[in-house]
Amino acid sequence: MNPKIAWMTVASIAITVGAYSLSRWIGARRPSPLTVPVFLATPMVMVAITVTHIDITGYHQASTIMTYFLGPATVALAVPFYRHRQVLRENVLPLSAGLIAGTTVAMAGGVLLARAFGLSAALQAAFSLKTATAPVAIADAPHVHADPTLVAGLVVVCALLGTMIGPKLLSLLRVRGEVARGTALGAIASGQGVAQSLTESDLTGAAASIAMVLAALVVTLLAPLVMRIFGG
Amino acid sequence: MLLQLAGLLGLNLLGRWIAQSLHLPLPGSVIGMLLLFCLLMTRVIRLEWVEPTAALFNRHLAFFFVPIAVGLLAYGSVIRSDGALMLLAGVLSVTAGIAVTGAVVTWLQRAQPEER
Repeated sequence: MNPKIAWMTVASIAITVGAYSLSRWIGARRPSPLTVPVFLATPMVMVAITVTHIDITGYHQASTIMTYFLGPATVALAVPFYRHRQVLRENVLPLSAGLIAGTTVAMAGGVLLARAFGLSAALQAAFSLKTATAPVAIADAPHVHADPTLVAGLVVVCALLGTMIGPKLLSLLRVRGEVARGTALGAIASGQGVAQSLTESDLTGAAASIAMVLAALVVTLLAPLVMRIFGG
Repeated sequence: MLLQLAGLLGLNLLGRWIAQSLHLPLPGSVIGMLLLFCLLMTRVIRLEWVEPTAALFNRHLAFFFVPIAVGLLAYGSVIRSDGALMLLAGVLSVTAGIAVTGAVVTWLQRAQPEER
């Protein structure tokens, strides 16, 4: 590796860690779906690498190194799932039937709308993955010929929409049960939905983290099928 | 902590290897997650062995999305041309997904009242 690339890689990682820490600090003081780290830190990094002329090409190596850890981070999702398995055991039928139905609707609906709007096949494929938790959606991307970067962006935006719309929508539909609310938010708004659910109650949060992992499995297994049926 | 990290990395690699050699259409990391869950259930691995590192990853999971989202910088034209339609499709399908999930869980819980 030549010294210039090495230097840009180190600087890129430092910028990313700095922007992330700053966004966590802001998010802790003003908690809102709009102050989640990805939403705040991403534009900060974009500005920083543009100003310093590192640019997206110089950032690439650092990005590869940092995103490698998404793999073990996904493996680690087994831990909250294991911890909250009791919630699943007590609600196995409603929870799994609900999240399979909801996830399928969100996947098929997203792909059909993207197709109706004349979006490209790669974008339609991204819509089939958008409700899965980002590490899984990104890993799924090559399997349905979607672009991992666009998938990541879409996942973050859709999870944000879910946390903004979800709680009010569920109340409007008179969905008051903690398990029902948690399952809906975790299945459709993944990590951000889990964080939102934890502000409602512990049981809501536990249901959400179970639903997030199961829904990611549903997306992984069904995405190729959904694309074959609804994509075009 | 380093040993725990090595364990998670190892399971990730093992998952990848399984996916490749069996030609499974699943990401290796997802298989690694299922492996870790099975190892926890069978008590081959104790929760306390992996908990601290897993908690660290879960707490800072969002960090790893930042570099990927930064990559969107190269997709300005797609977002300018299709961004509004993507947002609309996102709002509608997310709304439908949340409504259906919440309604089905509520309905089934009522149909089959459980003891909690």
